[in-house]
Amino acid sequence: MTASGPFVLASACWPESESDPRPPPLAGFIASSFSPLVAAVADRCLSRHFGAAPVDPATGERTAVVIVSVGGDVATGAAVAAAVDGGERMSPLLFFQSVPNAAAGRVASRWGLAGPVVCLSPPGDETAGAEAAGLEYAGLQYAAELIGDGDADRVLLLLVEQEPAGGLDRATALLVAPPIDEQPGERSP
Amino acid sequence: MSRRADPAGPAQPAVVITGLAVACAAGRGAAALLSNAFSGTPAFTPVTRFDPGRYSVKVAATLPDAGPLADELAGAVDGAWTGAGLTAGQRAGCPLLLAAHRDPGTARLPAAARRAANARGGLARALATRTGLTGPLRTYITACVSASTAVADGAAMIVAGRAPRVVVAAGYLVTEDDFALFDSGRALARDGRVRPFSSGRQGLLLGDGVAAVVIESAASAAGRGAPALARLAGWGRAGDAHHVCRPHPEGTGAARAITSALRRAGIEAGDVGYVNAHGTATAWNDPAEAAGLHSALGAHAATVPVSSTKSVLGHALDASGLVELVVTTVALRERRLPVNGGFLAADPACPVNVIVDGPLRARPRYALSLNTAFGGANTALLVEAAP
Repeated sequence: MTASGPFVLASACWPESESDPRPPPLAGFIASSFSPLVAAVADRCLSRHFGAAPVDPATGERTAVVIVSVGGDVATGAAVAAAVDGGERMSPLLFFQSVPNAAAGRVASRWGLAGPVVCLSPPGDETAGAEAAGLEYAGLQYAAELIGDGDADRVLLLLVEQEPAGGLDRATALLVAPPIDEQPGERSP
Repeated sequence: MSRRADPAGPAQPAVVITGLAVACAAGRGAAALLSNAFSGTPAFTPVTRFDPGRYSVKVAATLPDAGPLADELAGAVDGAWTGAGLTAGQRAGCPLLLAAHRDPGTARLPAAARRAANARGGLARALATRTGLTGPLRTYITACVSASTAVADGAAMIVAGRAPRVVVAAGYLVTEDDFALFDSGRALARDGRVRPFSSGRQGLLLGDGVAAVVIESAASAAGRGAPALARLAGWGRAGDAHHVCRPHPEGTGAARAITSALRRAGIEAGDVGYVNAHGTATAWNDPAEAAGLHSALGAHAATVPVSSTKSVLGHALDASGLVELVVTTVALRERRLPVNGGFLAADPACPVNVIVDGPLRARPRYALSLNTAFGGANTALLVEAAP
């Protein structure tokens, strides 16, 4: 991607309305909204663009899944700390969800997205607005770099933050492609 | 060695490694790595950093005199920078890509304090401030491919002309949180040994690892008369699209990452003379990795020497990819390939040529460092020996 900037094929947020303040529970994940948020916002975004899962293999193989989060999965981290400090038995489920890759892998396997899997944490910001803008900027910048380097044609950006200043846990998904004049082949559907 | 043109486009600027630093259970510096780790002698000792009494496994590969992670990282960055022949005055504007695992201290803060810590930029911002690296800043939290992805992305920044050089730093010091997590997931080797690709392997053990590298455009290095320690000839990243935490049994993503790295380097599979494998010694990883190597390298996968230095140094999680890139670079420079420790007998599910008897004297021109992670994330870094 170049000076003309990335092209957003589809987007979604969670929550988008008062009817979805909490994402649906996700089988195999406990104690944290992080992975359910990632799954819910990814499903919403990808459904808007592709309809039903999975995507066709040729598209999926060239689509990256990139999670961007300043704080990461803080609730899982806190649950792990509480179990260790309290001398409690650790749930094996916490092991599997202890890295954000697990949520990315859930999205990738459900939708057949076999491009690079990357999880990033950009530096945070003092205010919620600046932080959200910074998260989106960092994500779009990274998507441009990744596509420009050639291992992906599209990037599913999943911007996730728990405990944002003065707000609900939230997530945004952006399906990003190079500018129209740089896209390889047909954009579907 | 045969070369073929990259159909993706014209030749790209060469990327070289001009500085490196490492600290792990084998000791500090490349010399310690070479003398203590390459022979296959395991560095696992009883854990004293916390009480492991309630866990099924009680050993890890820890650095005896490890300081706080922030200090270790700053020391590694300083070491790599100085080793590259760069001055403090040249740090301004240089990007810092950090690979780091979740901080157990931050996890124990109240929410407001945690937010404030994140707003300050956490470990990455502190490291950048301390080391004077004022360019773009990013932390990779992609588990076991964090550091290797950062290296690939740093190389991409250089190729794209965004920076003449990039510092990649990575650090992990064994914590009780991770010990408890891996214990609960039954991922730790209960016999206290890590036996990658071997029958009878029981899993992984955790290990400290802190490393930093300076990667640079070859033109920039040549322009200031800095010798290249090695060339980063290729890199690749790809996913499995298979499972939350298990690799695809055919290693499909690993194979595509390797193929991407080969294509970028413009070389054939047969040109690869050593593979530093991810080799966690878990039931799932090793057969999948072997399958991925066969898929990408064809018949050559059965003969190319392979070892996993996790067998000796343990798994440094987010930092493992950078420690292993340093191992691979040292192997090429010293013409000595490290042993895959703990090997008992061949596992038909892992048909690769494991280095078992002693460090292998060899002069490969190209070596591959492969890493995989939860979520089906895979990376391949292809290193070319300096002339």
